Amino acid sequence: MGFFEQYRVLLRKDLTREFRSKEMLSSMGIYALLVLVVYGAALSQTSKGLDILQMSGGLIWALIVFTSMLGLNRSFAFEKEQGCLEGILLAPIDRSTIFLSKATSNCLFLLVVELITVPLFAFFFLGGVTLAPSWPLIVFPLLLGSIGIAGVGTLLSTITLETRGKDVLLAVLFVPLLFPLVYACVAATTGCMVGSEGFMTTYLRSLLLAGGYDIIMLSLSWALYDFVISA
Amino acid sequence: MGDKRTGNAGIYPAVGTWADTLAPILLLLALLLTTIGFVLSFIWAPPVYGASVNGVEVIGGQVVSNVLLISQKIFYFHMPVAITSFLALVAAAFFAVRFLMTREARFDTMSRVCMEIALVFVIMTMATGVMWTRFEWGVWWTWEPRLTTYFILMLIVIGYFILRNAIDDPERRAVYAAVLAIIAFVDTPICFMITRLVPSSIHPVVLRQGGGMGVSMIVPLLMIMFGMVMLGFALYRLRLRSIVLEQKCDALTETLEDQRESA
Repeated sequence: MGFFEQYRVLLRKDLTREFRSKEMLSSMGIYALLVLVVYGAALSQTSKGLDILQMSGGLIWALIVFTSMLGLNRSFAFEKEQGCLEGILLAPIDRSTIFLSKATSNCLFLLVVELITVPLFAFFFLGGVTLAPSWPLIVFPLLLGSIGIAGVGTLLSTITLETRGKDVLLAVLFVPLLFPLVYACVAATTGCMVGSEGFMTTYLRSLLLAGGYDIIMLSLSWALYDFVISA
Repeated sequence: MGDKRTGNAGIYPAVGTWADTLAPILLLLALLLTTIGFVLSFIWAPPVYGASVNGVEVIGGQVVSNVLLISQKIFYFHMPVAITSFLALVAAAFFAVRFLMTREARFDTMSRVCMEIALVFVIMTMATGVMWTRFEWGVWWTWEPRLTTYFILMLIVIGYFILRNAIDDPERRAVYAAVLAIIAFVDTPICFMITRLVPSSIHPVVLRQGGGMGVSMIVPLLMIMFGMVMLGFALYRLRLRSIVLEQKCDALTETLEDQRESA
């Protein structure tokens, strides 16, 4: 089997499993909904004049970061419980292929969850405000952010899989390492949603930086994954 | 290198070499240099005008228009400490790479000790940095690129030790820690670049007008800088030596216990 064949098989395995159990998607979706409920309470005492639009980019990304952590914690736990990971490691498959397929499936699940929760966020909080006409551009920061989160997150969730208190440990490593990416994505998201004058400069530069982060950190994670999974 | 008796080459870092002979001397020299540097920075280097404020403002309960800042002296401590912490981080990443290449346990120990030194100096940098923002910019905290980067770096280094504590298997712990050290090393500059390059209209940009340093400022600064780097290196060697002794002691205890059990 060539690389693509292996990659496709592994990816299909993840997708099929998720399609049958819907374990990750449902838990991530419900968690995201609960975060939105907490937002509702958190913002309930703010004045009507509050410019929610300026905060919305940050709120969306806080939602995504917390939700993705939940999913990443689950993504390898399942393999571990059923002894699937050992089976994969026994098969003559390049280790980096495992990383790529796992990162892809994590990214896909995250994108599906975003597809549901971002419109929900708009429904709950952005009803009374007019978005800038450039708002559809939010797709690109969401895409780049999800790719980076899935890539670095896959490596980190593999690391924390074998540790004590793994849920907390993932958060401890995940949030600081992802900080630059989130920073850039928030800038791009807010920029295109508010659409103030000259936002295109901020938007494009943030996207460029997020893309740079993705390329560097993904190649690094990809290169280091062999060590981690074989340890 | 390596212990002849047990034949465990590569397990223990080489200690007792020239570096360890040098370490106590360097420590003394570092103490001297930094102390003299600090004294000089107060008595020789001229006071500096603070960042100009619009009109008159109250900073730290003090009415300020454009004062001679004694708080600028923090800089003489802050910058050398920051540079030393960065060097320690570079060394930690270097030894982490060496570990992944050779899988020799001594590189893991060296990387870990470098991380410990980095943590000490990063925390000192943060403490002085926060003092600096308080007295120079009038707030305790602002999400300014350098400050943010160091805060994130501090969290990652703390995370490194939490990770180490959470794994029992020494081999696995070493690999994971090495991987994290490398990622941290790459992530930190990216963090600085991104927080700096993403344009923002909210954060105040405070820059000192008309910079440049005279000899009376550079000399104390360089003295403290060399002193701090020496201090970092000396601490590294001393700590490494004590850890190696500890490891050898543990190994001996284990062997003796095994012998007693079998006897």
